[in-house]
Amino acid sequence: MGRELISPELVDRCKAGDETAWRELVEATHREVYTLCLRILRDPDDAAEATQDAYLKAWKALGGFRGEAMFTTWLYRVAANTAISKHRTRARRRTHEIGIGDEVLGQIAASGSAETAATSRIEVAELERAIARLPEHYRTAVVLRDVYGLGIEEIAKQQRISATAAKVRVHRGRKKLKELVYPETTQEGE
Amino acid sequence: MSVTDLTHAEVREILPAYVRDGSDSLTVRRHLAGCSECRSELARYEDLLGALATMGSVTAEPPPSLVASLRQIPHSAGTIEQVRTHLARNRRTYLSGAAVVAAGVAGAALLRTRRQTAPA
Repeated sequence: MGRELISPELVDRCKAGDETAWRELVEATHREVYTLCLRILRDPDDAAEATQDAYLKAWKALGGFRGEAMFTTWLYRVAANTAISKHRTRARRRTHEIGIGDEVLGQIAASGSAETAATSRIEVAELERAIARLPEHYRTAVVLRDVYGLGIEEIAKQQRISATAAKVRVHRGRKKLKELVYPETTQEGE
Repeated sequence: MSVTDLTHAEVREILPAYVRDGSDSLTVRRHLAGCSECRSELARYEDLLGALATMGSVTAEPPPSLVASLRQIPHSAGTIEQVRTHLARNRRTYLSGAAVVAAGVAGAALLRTRRQTAPA
């Protein structure tokens, strides 16, 4: 995620309470934020609720954004934090994991397959399916690190674990994901 | 093979971290230089991380009602907060109320069943 969708000027206008600027900001970022929540929560209703909470938090905390990181990275951090909290609450409420439906997978995979196909031999839909099959704690760590570019310290803070444990989750998550995407190359005992 | 050389299994255990951050690991580099199998394995990880990096721009379309509510946040933020605070503070009261209603419904159903089954 190297590209910045939001200019510092737009952020400044939002900070000043400019509602037109806020609508522009929402327009430019809401799909990414909703998809991030969907990848963590795997349920469209929960993802929509988390997205709304994340933007509400972002609106209230905008004054504290000093421009040290990219705005979208800051927004992803807020969204990831909200989605992870929601996941924790949901896990207490429900004992079983909700499986991501093919319809949801198709929704994510449909719009960006061309861009990804140009840079990798792995199909987007196949990768989404493999990500969905990862155990929850590995999935969240890999998605935040390798899809949204968050740092290990940040992931550790959000998942309430040590940096070493976060590093281990990313490491094992990548290994497991590689095994799912390339099953024919996985040796017995790995 | 010297004592500092790594086995295939050891290298494969390191690769998930090496693929992004481990360019200065001399022992791994030395093994990779002479091992085409482990180089292929590294290429798979590189491909995987490349695909993951592009996935941030692969997005799902949120429900239109969500987008509309996000646009309204400057107007609705205060109201939403008030409603949430109110619900959180009065959660016990609302839950008790719901329990009373549920008990009433169950009681009425029981009475109706008894009347229907009672001998005329």
